[in-house]
Amino acid sequence: MAAVLTPKDFATATPSWWCPGCGDYGVLSALKAALADLGMQPKDVAFISGIGCSGKISGYLHSYAFHGVHGRALPVATAVKLANRDLTVIAAGGDGDGYAIGAGHFLHAVRRNPNITYIVMDNQTYGLTKGQSSPTSQTGYVTGTSPQGNPDAPINGLAVALAAGASFLARGFSAHPKQVVELTKAAIKHEGFSIVEVMSPCVTYNKINTYAWFKENIYYVNEAPDYDPGDRSHAFDVLSREGKIPLGIIYQDSRATLESLSHLGTTPLAQLDIVSRSPAYAAMQEAYR
Amino acid sequence: MVVNDIEIMFGGQAGDGSLTTGDLIAGVFKRMGLEVYTYKDFPSRIRGGHTNYVIRASEHPNWGMADFVDCLVAFDLEAVEAHLDELRPGGFIIFDNSSEPIPDGVRRSDVTWYEVPLAKIAKSDLGLELVRNTISLGVLSALIGMDRSIVRELVSNAYKRKSEKVLDQNLRAIEAGEQYVERHFAEWPSGYALRAGADGDRLIMMGNDAIGYGALVAGCRFMAGYPITPATDVLEWMAKHVPRFGGIAVQAEDELSAINMVLGAAFTGVRAMTATSGPGQALMTEAIGLAGVLEIPVVVIECARTGPSTGMPTKTEQSNLNHLIFSGHGEIPRVVLAPGTVEDSFYLTVDAFNLAEKYQCPVFVLSEQALCQSKATLPSLDLSRTSVERGKLQTEPVVFGEYKRFAFTADGVSPRVIPGVEGGMHLAAGSEHNDAGVITESALNRRRMMDKRMGKMESMRDDLPKPIIHGDPQAEIAIFGYGSNRGPIGEALERLWQAGIAARFFEFRTLWPFPEAEVRAFVEGAVHVFVVENNYTGQLERLIRYVVGPLEHMHLVNKYDGRPFRPIEIIDPIEKYALLRVPMEVRR
Ligand SMILES: Cc1ncc(C[n+]2csc(CCOP(=O)(O)OP(=O)(O)O)c2C)c(N)n1
Ligand code: SF4
Ligand SMILES: [Mg+2]
Repeated sequence: MAAVLTPKDFATATPSWWCPGCGDYGVLSALKAALADLGMQPKDVAFISGIGCSGKISGYLHSYAFHGVHGRALPVATAVKLANRDLTVIAAGGDGDGYAIGAGHFLHAVRRNPNITYIVMDNQTYGLTKGQSSPTSQTGYVTGTSPQGNPDAPINGLAVALAAGASFLARGFSAHPKQVVELTKAAIKHEGFSIVEVMSPCVTYNKINTYAWFKENIYYVNEAPDYDPGDRSHAFDVLSREGKIPLGIIYQDSRATLESLSHLGTTPLAQLDIVSRSPAYAAMQEAYR
Repeated sequence: MVVNDIEIMFGGQAGDGSLTTGDLIAGVFKRMGLEVYTYKDFPSRIRGGHTNYVIRASEHPNWGMADFVDCLVAFDLEAVEAHLDELRPGGFIIFDNSSEPIPDGVRRSDVTWYEVPLAKIAKSDLGLELVRNTISLGVLSALIGMDRSIVRELVSNAYKRKSEKVLDQNLRAIEAGEQYVERHFAEWPSGYALRAGADGDRLIMMGNDAIGYGALVAGCRFMAGYPITPATDVLEWMAKHVPRFGGIAVQAEDELSAINMVLGAAFTGVRAMTATSGPGQALMTEAIGLAGVLEIPVVVIECARTGPSTGMPTKTEQSNLNHLIFSGHGEIPRVVLAPGTVEDSFYLTVDAFNLAEKYQCPVFVLSEQALCQSKATLPSLDLSRTSVERGKLQTEPVVFGEYKRFAFTADGVSPRVIPGVEGGMHLAAGSEHNDAGVITESALNRRRMMDKRMGKMESMRDDLPKPIIHGDPQAEIAIFGYGSNRGPIGEALERLWQAGIAARFFEFRTLWPFPEAEVRAFVEGAVHVFVVENNYTGQLERLIRYVVGPLEHMHLVNKYDGRPFRPIEIIDPIEKYALLRVPMEVRR
């Protein structure tokens, strides 16, 4: 029996790099707490992140961490899961990473439904490149690249994912740690592709979507006692309504995972014997006689 | 009478079944003991458009086309007009005159014309126009003396999957073709004949099949790719075969995803690859740099086609060499291997996986349309020559804190743990990092890390596939080439020798790390050096020049029309220059 771990056991010695007050701290501590609560072992966690302030998170989680290129965390994570189902696979990245440069992969990960968790740390700006507008920035948001105000409409990542066939959608607010822990745990436990979008304010560059702003502009869907996360059209309705931002588990259903549909065995691929010369190899040449 | 030496060009419209018939012709030649090479010249569309399938048979292997076509099978005037000038004087044409006769102006008098209403016979006698291809096979068979029972056996094998009726129609089509020759052309021999020998312990395989098979045997159990001609065959091959061995082939949403999937899979310790062509290769560039800095073994099969951009997607070219060697921001260790035959495509693919894992870096296998989509006969592949060398893969627990994923070592290669191994947790970051994987911008660490990673290019030297030196190593004429040009250059060498001109030929199998010492040693004493390649700028020639310095008599023999060399296109300039000092006309 492996020892029961605490969130601290998932910390690395690397000092974190984020600005004081950055929303990303809350995401990281919630993730550590969720993994500890679920009884995970660092050696069995593969944590893949994109590029951005948010992408730095992989350096701070004691695990098998992979910090790849901008926008490509999901293909990496999908393949890690296909190759080794014993691993708990988590991907994380920013709104730009996931909804701009990586938007294509986002849709395809949703539709494939691998049993992995994707945490989108949404600060409605490009933090790392110093505050340009992102796909979730509000129209009119003034930045160095949009001095007259961002002309684009923001993307609603969760609604897009729902349309693409997502099987688990949740949204949290990084200043509400307890809820983010619970949402992250539910996401990791979900059999299939689970998305947790965490509103994670950028205190340095986003002076509009601040902690105070969020507190005024969010609500939890389960404040309505009869909210049914299994009701897809209601979830659509909630996600596309004007006004306050819905948080909580917005949608969940059960759908066959990519691994189960891929005709794969359960043995991690790296454990297959490839060193012996299989007699089946020679037999294959007969087709070319 | 020409015996056991023939090149057939089977012309048709895309999608009309000429592919199957071309394969049948190749199969019959093989079963009759001949060596076969095929070349597909297809338009980039599914139906319609002129296609041709070249099948060459000879007693000794020729991994390329001959100077001329001996027999043209033409189903329309377009095919005749497009290829008549490629026909050897004394050769012959089988022409389907069902819808149009040969206009007088077109007719060449130095070749024999066999005009047969193939489509008409197919429709009226056999009730299916599609079998005109098979009738033409019967005609060809009778004209050159194919073994009739082998023809029937292979036709049966090809069509028995369809239906009783289709099989019967095709067998009768063969009969009809043979009878037509007996009835109408008994007095007109083609001038070509075949003498059957033993088939022997041989295979007939396409280059891409050999790559797929090599990957499987090398232990590749994960592939991700995105369809692109002429590389798609590899993904299809793996999708068909790898599941039986517990693995998976994934069709990704694009090449960015495919290569990142390969990295993810390889990170877990499984041998993984992708296969693509120029446009996809361009998209993969950033992630290949990542593989270099993360020291993850990945194998990338590049089946080159004519670029840039969409170029001519179904045509051949060697214009991606620079891209494989130099692409990417920043510098990484990498290997580029290039097989020259179908057989070598298998062995070098196996080597690619071992090199990738031993040196923890990306390895490219560079093929080209004229090789990867060509079939050839080859001796049965020797599995005892293959092995799986896993290098410094670390699957036993390590002590956390002591273990360092990017440890500095004498050969630059660090023990590699995979997720699940107790104690091996670390960050694999594309950002510069120290030996423990922690991100740092320290100048000293940066120098040491670059030295470590790039140093692997030197530590792997002895492990790299060696070039093959053909011909007379003392000859004044030296030729360099690689890939599909191995065939035509080899043949040119032979024929120059017969004409009293000795030459040596350096066949690259490793293009990067560049085999400097071998290249230098090879040109020692050479008076004229020729570099043969299929591109405009002379990418290989420039590499050689860069390494051996200016050679007074160094020449580029290049071709960039999307078609492979025929031997005469190599012999001619060499002969003219070396003997007559006729200046070479090189364009770039
Ligand atoms: C291919 C590529 N293009 C651009 C960049 C520069 N870049 C780094 S992070 C980033 C945007 C990050 O925004 P987001 O994903 O929202 O992350 P945040 O920093 O806000 O957490 C960009 C454009 C890059 N690293 N790679
Ligand atoms: S710039 Fe913004 S997102 Fe980046 S660390 Fe600072 S507060 Fe966080
Ligand atoms: Mg952002």
